[in-house]
Amino acid sequence: MSVDSDMEYSDNDGDEYGDYYGEQDDCEMETVDQSKTDPEYFLFSCLRVEEVEKLLNESIELLSNSLQITPSLAKVILHAYDWNAQEIIDKYKENPNEVLIHSRVKPRVPSLSANISCSTCAVCATANSTQKYSALTCGHYFCNECWAMHFEVQIMQGVSNTIQCMAQECEVIAPEDFVLSHVAKPTLRDRYQQFMFKDHLKSHPQLRFCPGPNCQWIFRAWVREGARRVECQGCELLTCFSCGAPHHAPTDCITIRLWLTKCADDSETANYISAHTKAREALKKYLHYYERWENHARSLKLEEQTLASLKSRINQKAQLEAEIENLSWKVERAETTDRGDLENQMDIAEKRRTILLKDFLDINTNCASSSKM
Amino acid sequence: MFNIAAKRIIKEIKEVINGDQVEDAALKLELVNDNWMDLRGEFKGPPDTPYEGGAFKLEIKVPETYPFNPPKVRFMTNVWHPNVSSVTGAICLDILKDQWAAALTLRTVMLSIQSLLAAAEPNDPQDAVVATQYKENPELFAKTAKHWTNIYAGGPNHVWEFNRKVEVLIDMGIEEHKARVALSTNDWDIEKATEHLFS
Repeated sequence: MSVDSDMEYSDNDGDEYGDYYGEQDDCEMETVDQSKTDPEYFLFSCLRVEEVEKLLNESIELLSNSLQITPSLAKVILHAYDWNAQEIIDKYKENPNEVLIHSRVKPRVPSLSANISCSTCAVCATANSTQKYSALTCGHYFCNECWAMHFEVQIMQGVSNTIQCMAQECEVIAPEDFVLSHVAKPTLRDRYQQFMFKDHLKSHPQLRFCPGPNCQWIFRAWVREGARRVECQGCELLTCFSCGAPHHAPTDCITIRLWLTKCADDSETANYISAHTKAREALKKYLHYYERWENHARSLKLEEQTLASLKSRINQKAQLEAEIENLSWKVERAETTDRGDLENQMDIAEKRRTILLKDFLDINTNCASSSKM
Repeated sequence: MFNIAAKRIIKEIKEVINGDQVEDAALKLELVNDNWMDLRGEFKGPPDTPYEGGAFKLEIKVPETYPFNPPKVRFMTNVWHPNVSSVTGAICLDILKDQWAAALTLRTVMLSIQSLLAAAEPNDPQDAVVATQYKENPELFAKTAKHWTNIYAGGPNHVWEFNRKVEVLIDMGIEEHKARVALSTNDWDIEKATEHLFS
């Protein structure tokens, strides 16, 4: 990086610092002291699961009371409108139909095929008169057994708030009471409600789970942009409320995410290679020379091996010859009493000599024949 | 769950065999080894498209949780199409993924795949190379798709120009299918294709 661009960068940084700390003045502070001494001070609270449940229930109750709808439907609508109950109430006064369609409580096109009298379920393909049928607001009737199966599969896959009708191209969402009236297994019902709670939390702009491992605390804050430091009461982890990454002020969330992915995927190495090498030509050249070098190295190794085996053969022969010399010297100067023993050894020596002779002869003839060739 | 799946599949095969539309759409659906989890489908390429006259085979794997989860479907016939992988035959179709509904049947799935061949969606591609060709050189794309239909799906329309180019690469010692893929992905430029193959 050149000096110039470096300067530019730090200039920008300076501006961001200014903005960043300047913004703090807009926030309402509880304790004046903290906000003055800590430039990264951010107003938030740490809540337990029960407290959050109470908070969500308040919104649900408010909506179901003011719109005169069931809490289950209120949940579906709140989820679709990011938990902004006031916005929903205002919009509902203007055009209730639009709110219901947008949150997928009602079908976009009212279904005409009211097949209530239908006796065959399109999903399991059985006509069973004893079986009971039910449908969502869209009027697509299926047997209760199939609904139960459908919900089981969806819940097992982690879907909770957005389980849809089983009909083709129908986007109507099954509200909580409808799902629970078809699912009997207690474990499945628990799972469904757990997923639902987590899902609600994710869609709620003021709430965020502490990202600490197995941490059950939940942060609540009112601003969700820029680097916002929050500290968990349970695990004491410092994270950013806006993005959930580890605390990263004064860098903003997007920059830190880009930086982390950049570090993780090692993309700079690839960038460097593509920028500083004419990759393919260089590679070809490199491979060519590498192959040549590798061949040389391999032949050097093989030569060493042959040399070693030749040396060991020469040594063997020298040893044998020395032994024979030694023996014949002993025979020459021997006493008659040792004769038997010596003759025996002479015999051995003689045999060895023949072996040696044969070996040398073999080599000689081999050499001769190979030289002829 | 097991029961529903088996029952549904048996009924769906009957539906395809007895269906009135069998004549128009020319669908085939049969079990492999008498196992309801493993099926073969076949349909005719839609008329007035490069796929006209071809017979396209599908591999259909039915999960135990069918029809609450979608079947896994891929082309067994090599197809040149933006939404079908030219290598694996994988299909990019919403109803096989998040838009699946339990009320859908294998017949509707096959009909959807058939109409996908007639109306490609190059902005949601499965095969990026094919999609690029489709967008930038639609005439060459159509000719390539016709050629693949002729070679792999038994379509009646020969593209002699492409046959000759493939022959050239075969003479260079390249396996036929590899040669065709290299040429198709390099806009039938022999020089580029060989460079691609040997680098």
